[in-house]
Amino acid sequence: MAQSAATTHVPARDPYASATVKMLIYTSVFWLLLSMVLGLIVALKSINPDFLTGNRFLQTYLSYGRLRPVHVNTAVIGWMTSAFFGAMTYGVPALCKTKLWSEKLGMFTAVYWMLNYLFGAMAIAAGYQTGVEYAEMPLLFDIGVVICVASLWTNLFMTVKNRKERVLYVSLWYWLGSVTFLAIVYIVGNIPAGWMGPGMAQANYYYYYMHNIIGLWLTPVGVGLLYYLMPKLVDRPIYSHKLSLIGFWTIAAFYVWNGPHHLINGPIPLWLMKAGIIPSLLLLIPVWSVLANVIGTMKGVWYKVSENVSLKFLMTGALFYGLACIQGPFQALMGPHAILHYTYWTVGHAHMPLFGGFSLVLFSGIYYMFPRLTGRHLYSRAMMNWHYWLSVLGFVIFGFAMWTAGVIQGFEWMDGKQLGASFLQVMESLHVFLIGRAVGGSLMFLGQIFFAWNLIKSARSGKPIEQTEDPMLLAR
Amino acid sequence: MANEAEKSPGILLFGAVLLVLVGTMGTIVLPYFDESVVTPTKSAELKNYPTDSAEARGRHVYIREGCNYCHTQAVRPVRADSKLGPVSVPGDYYYDKPTLIMTQRTGPDLTWVGTRYSADWQHEHLLNPQKIGGPASIMPKYDYLSQQDRDDLVAYMLSLKPAPKD
Repeated sequence: MAQSAATTHVPARDPYASATVKMLIYTSVFWLLLSMVLGLIVALKSINPDFLTGNRFLQTYLSYGRLRPVHVNTAVIGWMTSAFFGAMTYGVPALCKTKLWSEKLGMFTAVYWMLNYLFGAMAIAAGYQTGVEYAEMPLLFDIGVVICVASLWTNLFMTVKNRKERVLYVSLWYWLGSVTFLAIVYIVGNIPAGWMGPGMAQANYYYYYMHNIIGLWLTPVGVGLLYYLMPKLVDRPIYSHKLSLIGFWTIAAFYVWNGPHHLINGPIPLWLMKAGIIPSLLLLIPVWSVLANVIGTMKGVWYKVSENVSLKFLMTGALFYGLACIQGPFQALMGPHAILHYTYWTVGHAHMPLFGGFSLVLFSGIYYMFPRLTGRHLYSRAMMNWHYWLSVLGFVIFGFAMWTAGVIQGFEWMDGKQLGASFLQVMESLHVFLIGRAVGGSLMFLGQIFFAWNLIKSARSGKPIEQTEDPMLLAR
Repeated sequence: MANEAEKSPGILLFGAVLLVLVGTMGTIVLPYFDESVVTPTKSAELKNYPTDSAEARGRHVYIREGCNYCHTQAVRPVRADSKLGPVSVPGDYYYDKPTLIMTQRTGPDLTWVGTRYSADWQHEHLLNPQKIGGPASIMPKYDYLSQQDRDDLVAYMLSLKPAPKD
């Protein structure tokens, strides 16, 4: 929009640059840093339970049991969802060759979303959590989420309806689909306990939500962003349109069934476990369709990864997404599940798609969008590289610490060390891995400081982009 | 290349939503028709706490303090869980709102913790887990809870036991 671009110090170059996108991206980076700090605190509390318990206030409001859900929600709802909202609000108008349908509605969504989560997180820390993992925010804030998702959906859908480009590029499929799925999954998953009858019937709602907030929201929106960025960053079309559509339809068909795989060997009927396990294995189809498309598109241009940090993030994100989706079906088999479930393995697995996979895709997207939003070059390529290496190495240390700890836990438990002194004996042997997690987490956090600092410096004193420069940089 | 249907976002979304709803029905609605899910067991009856009983309040404290992030409440029919008591069945959770099975066993499973320790032990342990459990324990001290909250929490934990066999 012309008026928002006029507030920056350079002349408007990008006729579509939108204040909504900036708002969402800036707030998402704040949430990213907060979730990292919270994650680090809970990691340190796992090493020393007396960490940050100096007085009654800290003991109450910064207790492990309250901070952990705030950490998870800040990462998933605060950081990733805000950033993806921003990426879609940028990408949908770009692909439709038109303006965002309503900048006002967009700004309303962005501000309401931020305030809603801010107070929602405070409610969890204040002790109003619902007790349902990933869905801890009380009903009032769930309603806020649904309002925001509905207004974003309307905005994006109307933008697509008024598009100047008839053909819907595949990213639009993934994005429109993902926002629609988000609405369905969020509403189903956050119906208050007690409205839904018997306990195990409720549990199906919770695990449906827990799995599908990743599977039907973060996955399709992230893959959509991957398909948006990859052709732009390597300057060639995607390898196969058909393959990307196969991915879309198989995600919609199979992912939704995966909830029960969290309760394998658990207190649910056997048929329901099978209904969760088989689609979990079928997930190899969509993930392979994405990876095959990445490999096909990159064929002959892999050298560009060394020249473009944004592309380096994107490819690494795709790799971790692929690995997470190979780990997932493996864990969903009854045998491995019996050993790995309830252990620290899960913690490593949960961070792989969320941080290693889609956060890296988002970093790539933010680095791509930022110069186009601000009219300024990114301040420092070296800082981008620090961000990359600290994030990736930090995560690898984190992940392997957790996976190793999980395997040890799993096998020790099979030796009957599940209670009392023998349980504590296992805990003692895990201590070093918990330290490893905190070390990895610290590196990840340090990487994000480089990220945020680089963005601030870019917005303030990045070199203004000249009209005569590389048209690729200015084109969306 | 793109065909005509691919130019219509309405058709596309309709199809995608339909697929998602099929899975939603399969995994959420169908279980309501399974006897084992909708029939409370005797152990479930023990957990059917009257409103505002000490156990019900204690369960609320359990959720408020996030105990469930480190303690599971489900015994599986697998070797790793063989020492944890009777295997949990769907009907055991009939009255749980919400169920507290959870996903992480950082501390021991609490499904039947009521059979293991006395009220005194639980109180001592909540006040100083490292002293009672051992220095390797990473459980926070719950000495900041009010006496009332701690009493309720202990009452809740003691109620977690299987129903006696007939």
